[in-house]
Amino acid sequence: MTEFLREFASGSFELLLRVFLIVVPIMVALELFEGTRAFRAVVRAWARLVRHVGLDERSAAPTLIGFLFGLAYGGGVIVRDVRRHDLGRRQVFTMSVFLSMVHAIVEDSLIFIALGASIVWVVVYRIVWAALVTLALTALAGIVLRRWRLRGERRGD
Amino acid sequence: MTGPDDNIPGAPLPRPPEGFAATARRDLRLGVVAGLQTFWDLSKVMIPAYGVTLALERLGVIGSLASVARPLMEALGLPGDAAVPLVVGYVLNIYAAVGSMQALDLTGQQVTVLAIAILIGHNLVVEGAVLHKAGMNGFAFGALRIVAGLAAAVVANLLMGLVG
Repeated sequence: MTEFLREFASGSFELLLRVFLIVVPIMVALELFEGTRAFRAVVRAWARLVRHVGLDERSAAPTLIGFLFGLAYGGGVIVRDVRRHDLGRRQVFTMSVFLSMVHAIVEDSLIFIALGASIVWVVVYRIVWAALVTLALTALAGIVLRRWRLRGERRGD
Repeated sequence: MTGPDDNIPGAPLPRPPEGFAATARRDLRLGVVAGLQTFWDLSKVMIPAYGVTLALERLGVIGSLASVARPLMEALGLPGDAAVPLVVGYVLNIYAAVGSMQALDLTGQQVTVLAIAILIGHNLVVEGAVLHKAGMNGFAFGALRIVAGLAAAVVANLLMGLVG
C-alpha cells in the first residue's frame, strides 16, 4: 500500500508537471498569437480542411491543438472555448470524435515509427479513418436526433 | 486596464487596449490565467483517473482483460500475446504499450497493425476523464475508441494483405 501511494504520488507529480509545462505555454502562445494574421491564416487553412468533417471555423483552433499536441491539451482548449463563447454541443461532439481517433500526430506516431511501423499506415491511414468515423457518427447522431424530434412533435410536446 | 470581473468564466473579454506593449501585456496575463485555469481543470480529472488506472493495474485487471482479448488477436493476424500491449495501452498509455511490445517478436506488418489499434485506443481512463470535462460521455468514447481502433486494425491488415 505504501508502495502504491509512493508510485501514485510520484506519477501524479510527473503528470502534473508535464501538463503544466505544456498547457501554460500553449495558452500563452494562443492568447498572444490568436489575433495575428499568420495565426489566423494557419487556422483558416486548417478550417478549410476540417470543414469536410463538419467542423466550423471556431472549432478549428482547438481541433488543431489537439491534433498536434494531444487530446488532453485540445480538450483543455475546448473547455476554455466552451466557457468563453458558446461552442455548440454538436461541435464539441464532432471535435471529440475526430480527436479521439487521431491526436498528438507527431509524438504518438513517431513512437511507433521508431518501432518499425509504416508511416503511411500510422499517419495517413489513421487520418482518413478518423475522418470517415467522424462523418459516420455525426450522420448517425443527426438521424437519431431527428427521429427523437419527430417523435416529440407527433406526441405534441 | 482591467475590470474586477474579467476572471469570471464566460464573461465577455475586456475591450482590447491601445498600443502594442499594452496589448501584449494583456494577452500574456490572459494566457497565464487561461493556462492555470486549464491546468486546474485538467488536474482535477486527470489525477483521480490516474489513481484508478494504477489501481486497475495493481488489481491484475490488465492480465484478465488480456486473456479475454487473446482470441480477438487472430482476426488482426497477431499472436495471442499481442493482447497484452493492447490492453496495457488501453489502461495505461502508449509508452507502457510500446514497452510491453518490445517483449514480442512481431513482423513489420504486425507492428503496424497493432500500432493502429493502440494509436486509436489508449490511455482510456485519463483521456476519458478529459472528454468528460468537455461534456462528453467518457465511457462511450472509451468503447468507441476500442471498437473503432480494432476495426481500423482489421481493415488495415486486410488491405495490407491485398497490397502485399
